[in-house]
Amino acid sequence: MAAPEYLSASSPFDPASIERPDPSLLTYYLLISALTLFGFPFVFLPYLCKYYTLRYKFDDQGVSMSWGVLFHRQVYLTYRRIQDIHVTRNLLHRWLGLAAVAVQTAAGSASAEMVIEGIRNPEALRDFLYSRMRGARPEHPADYTTSQASAEAARAPEPSDEALQLLRDIRDGIRGLRARVDRLEQQR
Amino acid sequence: MRQHAQQAAEWIYRGVWGVLVQWFRVPDQPPTLPARPGEKVETFRPAEGFLKYLKFWFWLVVLVLDLGILGLWMAVFAADRVIGAILTPVALAAIIIPDVLAYLAIHLRYDTTWYVMSDRSLRIRRGIFSIHEVTITFENIQNVMLRQGPLQRYFGIADLEVQTAGGGSAGTAHGRSEDAGHTGLIEGIANAAELRDRIMARLRQSRTAGLGDEPAFGATTTHNPPSLWTAEHLALLREIREALCGDSSSVRG
Repeated sequence: MAAPEYLSASSPFDPASIERPDPSLLTYYLLISALTLFGFPFVFLPYLCKYYTLRYKFDDQGVSMSWGVLFHRQVYLTYRRIQDIHVTRNLLHRWLGLAAVAVQTAAGSASAEMVIEGIRNPEALRDFLYSRMRGARPEHPADYTTSQASAEAARAPEPSDEALQLLRDIRDGIRGLRARVDRLEQQR
Repeated sequence: MRQHAQQAAEWIYRGVWGVLVQWFRVPDQPPTLPARPGEKVETFRPAEGFLKYLKFWFWLVVLVLDLGILGLWMAVFAADRVIGAILTPVALAAIIIPDVLAYLAIHLRYDTTWYVMSDRSLRIRRGIFSIHEVTITFENIQNVMLRQGPLQRYFGIADLEVQTAGGGSAGTAHGRSEDAGHTGLIEGIANAAELRDRIMARLRQSRTAGLGDEPAFGATTTHNPPSLWTAEHLALLREIREALCGDSSSVRG
């Protein structure tokens, strides 16, 4: 799936290259745990495990996230099923340039299905997810306004060229066959 | 005198705002939505009435709390004059400081609330220390709820809540659903009914249930997608039919 024009022009953000959270996420976890004072070791240890086992994988259709040492967890969701995107940034997040990007699907829980943490450029990630959400782009003919339709028309020959070439080959093949049939009939 | 006080208050407010932007990284620009060329994006914030509404509650709470503190201090003073005299600055601080902070917080809350609407989606941002931002496409909205209490009616404002599919949360039941999932709260706007109608008009255009289903499937059965077969394709297909049918007719004839 090609990136929409308004994204590719402005940002070189490539989510497919993201596998590990940014190291500043560990700093964030450290600070958050430090705020609990005496609870520090108990709070920080699970965070540490989460940080070192956290893996992201962004593909064409969806995003998967896995973490956990003893209790392993893996979440996969497709971009099309995203209902809403929540970006929460508290003070520490902002100082470290991070954000918690929570993605909601239509599943029956109020808490987010996936919270993507530790991404360096959260705005770009948000816009990337948004551009692949349902309804962010024109989908059906009723949606086509003139400007969008013309933009679509400019893009249209790209996928249909192959079909056109195929049809041309078929036509030429049939013409060749017919010529041979005609010749055979004449010889007879 | 009044003018000077107003100017001083404005300077203080601007100073606080500057500290928030500089040190606490509060974004001073409204959020944006990616839009295609030709699409119009509208950025707005709560109506003036919302500020008045918040301040009304502020004065009400201030009155009750401060009268309570005053009464307590007077009781102590009546019981023991020395302790009462010592407690005077404490009581004064307890009366003044939270009020100033709350008043400041109201203005900050108003100034950090932003709503952005494009033809396809909605983005809401609010918060000072924890900044929360929601993005919802109209395609995914299930229902729109308009709420207005008697006081809000007096100030000419209303709350609009859009909900997407998904599980309920405790937040909605208590009316404080700002951070709850599956909802977007547009509070304190003057043209809530008009906005609701616009969102509902968008919803009616949509042919899907807003549950992550592919709208293209429903559409292809009734309309041809515009990009699949162009005039060139059809001309070629006709040529192929000619080549084939011409052949069969010559055999027959």
